[in-house]
Amino acid sequence: MMLAERGRLGAPPARRRVVAVTGAAQFLGSNLVGLLEEDPNVRAIVCLDSEAPTTAGAKSRVYNLSLTEGLAEERMTEILSAEAVDVVIHLAFLDSPTHSTAFAHELESVGTMHLLNACRRTKVHKVVMRSQTLLYGAHATNPNYLSEKHPLRARRTESFFADKIEAENEVLRFGRPGQGRLATVLRIAPMLGPTVDNFVTRYLSHRLTPTVLGFDPLWQFVHEADAVRALRLAALYDVPGVFNIVGDGVLPLRTVIKLAGRTTLPLPRSLASGLTTALWLTQLAEAPPAFFDYLQYICVADGALARKELGFEPLYTSREALIDYANAQHLRDVRLLSETPA
Amino acid sequence: MNRKDKRPKQRNSSASQSTGPRPDKSKSKSKSEKRGDARSPAPGGARASHPGPSNPKRKARRTGHNRGPAEPRLGERRVQLPRRPIDAPPSVIDERTAVDEAGLSDTDIDSEEAFELGIGARVVPPTTQYGEAFESAPPDPQERKSGDVEAQIRALEARLDGLIRQRHFADGPADAVAQDGEPVPRGILAKTDSSPPAQIDAGEPPASDFISRKWGRSALRSRSEEFDDFGLDPSFEQRVKPVVEFLYRSYFRTSVEGIDNVPAEGRCIVVANHSGAVPLDGLMLRAALRIEHKQRRDLRWLAEDFVYYLPFAGVFMNRVGAVRACPENAERLLEKESIVGVFPEGVHGIKKLFQERYRLQRFGRGGYIRLCLRMRAPIVPCAIIGAEESSPLLYRLEGLTELLGLPYFPITPTFPFLGPAGLLPAPTKWRMRFGEPINLDNYGPEAADDHVLVGRLSERVRSSIQAMLDSGLRERRSVWFG
Repeated sequence: MMLAERGRLGAPPARRRVVAVTGAAQFLGSNLVGLLEEDPNVRAIVCLDSEAPTTAGAKSRVYNLSLTEGLAEERMTEILSAEAVDVVIHLAFLDSPTHSTAFAHELESVGTMHLLNACRRTKVHKVVMRSQTLLYGAHATNPNYLSEKHPLRARRTESFFADKIEAENEVLRFGRPGQGRLATVLRIAPMLGPTVDNFVTRYLSHRLTPTVLGFDPLWQFVHEADAVRALRLAALYDVPGVFNIVGDGVLPLRTVIKLAGRTTLPLPRSLASGLTTALWLTQLAEAPPAFFDYLQYICVADGALARKELGFEPLYTSREALIDYANAQHLRDVRLLSETPA
Repeated sequence: MNRKDKRPKQRNSSASQSTGPRPDKSKSKSKSEKRGDARSPAPGGARASHPGPSNPKRKARRTGHNRGPAEPRLGERRVQLPRRPIDAPPSVIDERTAVDEAGLSDTDIDSEEAFELGIGARVVPPTTQYGEAFESAPPDPQERKSGDVEAQIRALEARLDGLIRQRHFADGPADAVAQDGEPVPRGILAKTDSSPPAQIDAGEPPASDFISRKWGRSALRSRSEEFDDFGLDPSFEQRVKPVVEFLYRSYFRTSVEGIDNVPAEGRCIVVANHSGAVPLDGLMLRAALRIEHKQRRDLRWLAEDFVYYLPFAGVFMNRVGAVRACPENAERLLEKESIVGVFPEGVHGIKKLFQERYRLQRFGRGGYIRLCLRMRAPIVPCAIIGAEESSPLLYRLEGLTELLGLPYFPITPTFPFLGPAGLLPAPTKWRMRFGEPINLDNYGPEAADDHVLVGRLSERVRSSIQAMLDSGLRERRSVWFG
């Protein structure tokens, strides 16, 4: 019975793997390290980040390394070959938009290039990259469920998207068939949960949450635990390709805000776009004006492929992820939960 | 199932794993220490047995259990952070530790089995008869007296909870560890564990099915989902329903012919003519199938892109059942065996002037035919008469269109002279005619790539609708009274 089922994913790795995680001290990275620590299929975890993950245990080997430093490629090659790394999980991406776009470009686009070059020079046979469904872009002409084949149409003028799209293309080039290397890209929907902190959670933590008058797009989320589980699956099973990692179900933005216990502040489109620009420039808004599209138009991805090929079943629906986040956020609001989200 | 057979039956083993401490480290530790001091020779509860099943430590725990109860486990190293996300959301677990404190855990609880049954490492397995459990509990009359009833209640509560959990985790997470210690993809455990446990006690009703149906996670999910995949809001639709029904019955006095041509079940595409400066035909088509069809079928119609750029209009249309017209959406709808309403004329249908009324415009590139061929759905042609006159388009102001993001700026007899009220439709008599279904099953799905064939089939559908329109118009005596 078990073997028949497992056929879907192919045989599990014959050998216990050595997994390297970039961005290991960040939210996804540290949680993934913790999960892999418990995993009998993983022999060792190589943590690459500028600081040590709090979850590093007996199996972890922590290297202080930043992808933006000058000799990153050389050092990475040394580490990857010394540790005989099989799989690299590339998580060194910024979760939220930043004002220091030059740094973000160095880290995400150029850093990915260095990492992949280091992988080419060593025996790494697979790279798993964390991407985002936001890269599909919010458009009125999007189908209700975007499949992985849909082109990435996020605004290239916004470096948050442009760098990630470049990185994704690099990774897919790395895994082009015929070279004996694999690439898995997980496009993860906006993450919510009790411990995660990103621009979506910050957007939903305002008492008054701005929306666009007359627009109420459908949103979808994925629970942070599901995102980590998906990364683990991608690390352990060799399923190359692009997968959307999303929670089931969709929620209109107004319902999202209501469930989060906030008040909507509908602004007319003309006023709001100028206001967002001003707020972003004064560092009062979470996201630059390019994100304004997501308050108007739909950007929802279809998780059917991940379910079928990766065997990933989300444990939480979008609504449950949101409620889980909201519960923790309420406790933080009344200062009963002092732990700050990662 | 073989796992259960191997399970050693350990009576009087006191390795109670019946607590599921919070993810909070300090708390769980102090709690279990207390408990250990209180009565149990083995502070087994101190081990990080979290309620989630997604536990690669499962094997480790089992072996630990077999090693014997006397081993203190307080010092066991735990990795804290990853556990929280895997866990079910932190729930109130403290009450349930009361089960332990009442002395239940010192009886013949086979905690391993408890885990097997999916009721978490914190409750009493269903094989335990509580009466017997208390009988065999170490005699501690004082504690018994005070905690007896309460403990029973709590145990029952915990057990119900465990049963719900069992259902919910039966399709457990992917990182559950199988017997051989290898991780198995999701679904395998579901297969092995979801069958009801073999030895359910007669004293305890095997209520798990009922409970999971009613209170289980899937039940909660189906209950709380207010929006369908495409953004239809049933509660909003319910609020709009009186208005729609008023329009349908009293205002347009819609009469419907040939509604039986719409199949009673299964996928189907209704192809209709599109008309009116403010198109209401999709809404009325949906209402017609809801009200007149025997099976009260649910039609979703495909709306043009421009609607979704408009504030309010796009959201409104979406909430009452419109879906953006694109092949992906239509395929998804047909896969769910629903009825899709298509207006192949698209924007050209609604922006044609009054003098061109009831003359079908071009049918696009025949995308709907390709859809039918691929999805093997029959086509029901439909002619809607009366909609053209209800909001006639006299003139299109081209200059304003780009400025407003509209495909056309309508000039009707009443708009814009009467302001927004001018957009209200005139009370003409509507008539809907459904023709014989056109079955394309004798062509294979590969025919969708045959452009010539697609064009010919599209023309056939178009001419059949045009014929229905023409005959309907000939029969019509009056625009207002039909």
